[in-house]
Amino acid sequence: MEPIPKTEEQPAATPAERLAYSVQESADMLGVNYFSVYRLIQRGKLKVCRALRGKLLVPRAELLKLLATE
Amino acid sequence: MTNPFEHRRPTELEDKAHAEAVRHFAEHLNQFPASREMVERLERDADKIALAANMAAAKPTPKENVIQADDGRQWHKSVDLMENIHFCHRPISYGAEYAVVEHFPARGANEIWNRGWNAVEVLKAFAQEQRQALQIWTDDVSAQVREFLSEKFPGQDLSRVADAFIHKCATQAVSPKNTLTHGHQQNHSRGVRI
Repeated sequence: MEPIPKTEEQPAATPAERLAYSVQESADMLGVNYFSVYRLIQRGKLKVCRALRGKLLVPRAELLKLLATE
Repeated sequence: MTNPFEHRRPTELEDKAHAEAVRHFAEHLNQFPASREMVERLERDADKIALAANMAAAKPTPKENVIQADDGRQWHKSVDLMENIHFCHRPISYGAEYAVVEHFPARGANEIWNRGWNAVEVLKAFAQEQRQALQIWTDDVSAQVREFLSEKFPGQDLSRVADAFIHKCATQAVSPKNTLTHGHQQNHSRGVRI
């Protein structure tokens, strides 16, 4: 019996990157508490958008921008 | 904002919905009162904190309390205001400059929030911004609670539950074990209007 030819391994699918995160998720990602995130929003350091019911969402790009700021 | 259950007791559904919201948003309920108290303390004790900073500025600072901020200058930690937030001073030829500096662990950076020559004014400006941040937090939690309730109990009018939740969040530390009924009874037994 001929051996079955090995197929090239596909890299594991990575979950699609989300466009925005809740304040709680943002706090976890930044390693700060909730209040720090709300203070960053108040200061205009993090630009946010609002979901349908008014819940704040932090765009991924804003988090990356904040982390890259020197 | 007054407690919406002050004049009419919650229904069984409202009590259940409130208990679920309290469980779901337990972390907010832990952090919000603590942050609110920090801001209140800052507002109340600005003069005392400024005095402590003035006294610290008159003495040499231990090496480990000197940090470099994002303005490239070295600042001396005087008073810890909140977690990772310090009231600092910087000696200058004719006295001291003061600043509120936050340490961001993720970036390893020290960012200046407010600065000036008058310690009390710097603290008051910072406290005012913290008040505004608390308001943003309150509005956001309110939206989150309403979203949670509408998804968990579709078609039900639980606006009183959301209002009561925010009221508790904004006025007192809430234990996750509390229910609307318990809170209601306690408030009346103390004769306190909330």
